[in-house]
Amino acid sequence: MAEVILDNVSKYFGRFKALDGVSFTVKPGEIFTLLGPSGCGKTTTLRVIAGLEIPEEGRVLIDGYDVTYKKPYERNTAMVFQNYALWPHMTVYDNIAYGLKIRKYSRDEIKRRVKWALELLGLEGLENRYPLQLSGGQQQRVALARAIVVEPKVLLLDEPLSNLDAKLRVRVREEIVSLQRRLKITTIYVTHDQEEAMNISDRVAIMDRGRIVQIGTPAEIYYNPYNFFIATFMGRSNVLSGVVERVISDKLYEVNINGLRLNGTSTGAKLSTGEDVLVVIRYESFRKADEDDKINVIEGRVERLSFIGLALQVKVITVNGHVILAYLPPREVIDTGAHIRLYVSPEDVKLYPSITGVID
Amino acid sequence: MKNNRLGNAIRGLTYTLDLPLVMLLFFTLILFTLILIIPLATLFLKPLSVLSLRILEDLIRYPYVSIPPLGEWYIVSDRGEYKLIIVRFKDLGVIPNTILVSSIVTLLSSIIGISIAFVVARYDFLGKGILRIISIIPLLYTPFVNAFVTYKIFGDGGILGSLMLSLGLPYSIEVTYIAGTILAQTLMFWPIVYLNTLASMMQIDPSLEEQAENIGSRGFRLFRTITLPLSLPGVAAGSGLVFIFSMEDLAAPLAFKVDNMMSISIVRAITGSQSIEALSVEVVILAGLLLLSAISWFILIKHYISLKQYAMLARGVRWKPRVSKPSLPTLLAIYLIVFPLVLFSMLPQIGVLIYAFSKSWTGVIPEGFTLEHFSNVLFDSRVLNGLKNSFIYSTLALVLIIIIGTVSSYVISRVSLRGLSAIDLLAMSPLAIPGLSIAMGLLILYGSIFKDTLIDPYINPMFLLILAYAIRKSPFTTRAVYAGLQQVHRSLEEAGFTLGASRTRVLFTIVLPLIGINIIAGSMISFVYCMSEVSTSITVGSLNKSQAPITYIIYDYLTAGYGGGAYIHQASAIVTLIIVVQLIAIITSNYILKFRYSILGI
Repeated sequence: MAEVILDNVSKYFGRFKALDGVSFTVKPGEIFTLLGPSGCGKTTTLRVIAGLEIPEEGRVLIDGYDVTYKKPYERNTAMVFQNYALWPHMTVYDNIAYGLKIRKYSRDEIKRRVKWALELLGLEGLENRYPLQLSGGQQQRVALARAIVVEPKVLLLDEPLSNLDAKLRVRVREEIVSLQRRLKITTIYVTHDQEEAMNISDRVAIMDRGRIVQIGTPAEIYYNPYNFFIATFMGRSNVLSGVVERVISDKLYEVNINGLRLNGTSTGAKLSTGEDVLVVIRYESFRKADEDDKINVIEGRVERLSFIGLALQVKVITVNGHVILAYLPPREVIDTGAHIRLYVSPEDVKLYPSITGVID
Repeated sequence: MKNNRLGNAIRGLTYTLDLPLVMLLFFTLILFTLILIIPLATLFLKPLSVLSLRILEDLIRYPYVSIPPLGEWYIVSDRGEYKLIIVRFKDLGVIPNTILVSSIVTLLSSIIGISIAFVVARYDFLGKGILRIISIIPLLYTPFVNAFVTYKIFGDGGILGSLMLSLGLPYSIEVTYIAGTILAQTLMFWPIVYLNTLASMMQIDPSLEEQAENIGSRGFRLFRTITLPLSLPGVAAGSGLVFIFSMEDLAAPLAFKVDNMMSISIVRAITGSQSIEALSVEVVILAGLLLLSAISWFILIKHYISLKQYAMLARGVRWKPRVSKPSLPTLLAIYLIVFPLVLFSMLPQIGVLIYAFSKSWTGVIPEGFTLEHFSNVLFDSRVLNGLKNSFIYSTLALVLIIIIGTVSSYVISRVSLRGLSAIDLLAMSPLAIPGLSIAMGLLILYGSIFKDTLIDPYINPMFLLILAYAIRKSPFTTRAVYAGLQQVHRSLEEAGFTLGASRTRVLFTIVLPLIGINIIAGSMISFVYCMSEVSTSITVGSLNKSQAPITYIIYDYLTAGYGGGAYIHQASAIVTLIIVVQLIAIITSNYILKFRYSILGI
């Protein structure tokens, strides 16, 4: 089990700064996910760790050794590529045995280890097939087998599920997690799918435009998104703009959203009276208000109802003219056009200074 | 910051490439520098060192420029029962002749090539498949003899004239001299424009033309405003090659007895020289001019094409090219103009076969079938020696070609460092550089450096020949290997690296097995073109007769009885053998690569 440290890593492609001072520590044996929209630098970060790109600034340490300028083949990381990168001219057996041959294991040892990997991934009987004769899921597993069979210090997974159909994706995801738990290989996982990231990871790093913007467990990030970008990237949210009316405490503020008054919390910066803020409220943060709920109540008319299985999605036009989407329990009985009162707890009303992170 | 960037670039190079690869890269670069860049530079530097007013004055006098032009454009001679029209063209002197002939040939070839490409690309008609196949036949490389066949048909006392008389017409036509050269070269070279243009037209997204039609453009306007501009990359590439090939062509001026051409002057000067000192500065300047014209074309085309973005929209998506049924007038034009023209262009190739298999062919109809010429040729020790020489040189050149082709295409496709993109240009440039310029450059550079040593080209020309073959014919392999590498996704190599394989190991266990077939196919084409290489073979190769390659022997056979083609039957027999080899190589390699147009540009 190895620890991976990135220390202030920057990478340029021509003038474009693909990575901008990326730093993080991956603990031995954990699944660490880099999550972000396409073009945010997550794959580049993975390639820097693998040694397929060298950074212009900063250091990469694996297991305490500085490998920043080491060739990829001197690092003992194994990568599973988005397109699997199986060699079409080699059989499944030869693909898996490739790394072992380089490590100069004896013939019998290679046989034993390949057999182990084949069994581990349920690929028995396919060893003499060529990659083109396999299904997508099988190819994915061969790629995984090829990577883990060399017992790498670090396993790097670059969007490994993106080429699989939705059902298979869930199954393979579970297989990857259980495999990783058994082998306890430090794993770095890249994805743009936040649900996948939350499901699979011990910890998640959110990336935006070449920078790490927040690192934490899935729950930490979900409940305390550090900035506006993360808040809107994770889950589905209503975004409204308002003004700070009153400072209640360091975290708690009263905001005026064009006539609608709500109490909300700021996870990052301190706010002051009169400051413009962006108000982010997740769809699932609402519940029907009780008679006793006096504050943080939104009143309006039900404009549209859509049943989405997990919840009943309600589109509300508030008395102040705001459009709010809310998830209510699926069996809730509500009529279109009816008057509705919704309650949202102050800690679910996230406030962000409106200058930062709104540029795009 | 600057320093840091430079440091990063150097670190980048050693990081991206392993030592063995860097060494091979340098080997390739050194080869190109020694065989191509320095010799070509010598063409300009050497004359500069001795340049005087007298030499410049010489260059604007006869035979280089003749003012006023000599001879007649055409002659109508009254032969009693009929009138003989002899189309000739005036002699303007070596330099204007060459430039004018090349320009006219390029223009004619472009008109023919573009028209036929359009017909084949956009119309569906009976016999289209046959048309496509036979329109490539003129590209089969038949060193020298095809021009002699054109002469036989159109020249003095040619078949065409005799036919017109035997049909009882009051006129007879002969196309001779420079006019004949233009005719022979046009017949030889239009398929180059055709193939390149066709390839471009097949790549045009049909929606571009459909959009134009949708807003009311059709017919010739559609062709002129949309189809032709979008095919320009192909047209420009094709016509550029034709211009260069025409300038350095020897066959047509030899057959039509035109002495005042740059190519002829250069070859005569070299083959007639006893030592390096005997080469006059004027001829060196001619070779430099040849090169300069080629480079100007190259730059012009590059500049013009890169001005516009020719992204053919949805790349990678397969579409069906637009094909329609021709209207009646178009159909008539296809059968009455296009087909005869294509068949007509095949005549030289057919003529070669007739010469090879007939006892004599002096009148209209050849007489007597025989295999005698083949047996004569194969028992002629000079021919056997020439074949053996060519085979050895080509095989040795092939070893270098495979290294050059593989290394440069690997570097072009895999290393993204600024400056290295020049390798792309360098690797493809031999296609566009006149072989005679290379021959002359090599000779004056190494002829003086290695004078009276073991590798003096006047004593042992074989070393220079092998190197020249390797450089000149490497682009065919480079292109084939590059196409293969495009199919091999980078991640296939990267997966190897992360599993612990060095670049050299990845190269041998992953890359080479996957592109091996491209290397084989590409080097087959290169080998064939080495075997039929002309420019350096008949110049540098002539300096020691016992080391002369087969193309020189063919040249010698044809020029021994100067112009008349004294041994044309024997020469045709040799060329027939070469055609067979070419056909086998081209068909096999096309089959392997599934390239439809791998013979673009000889």
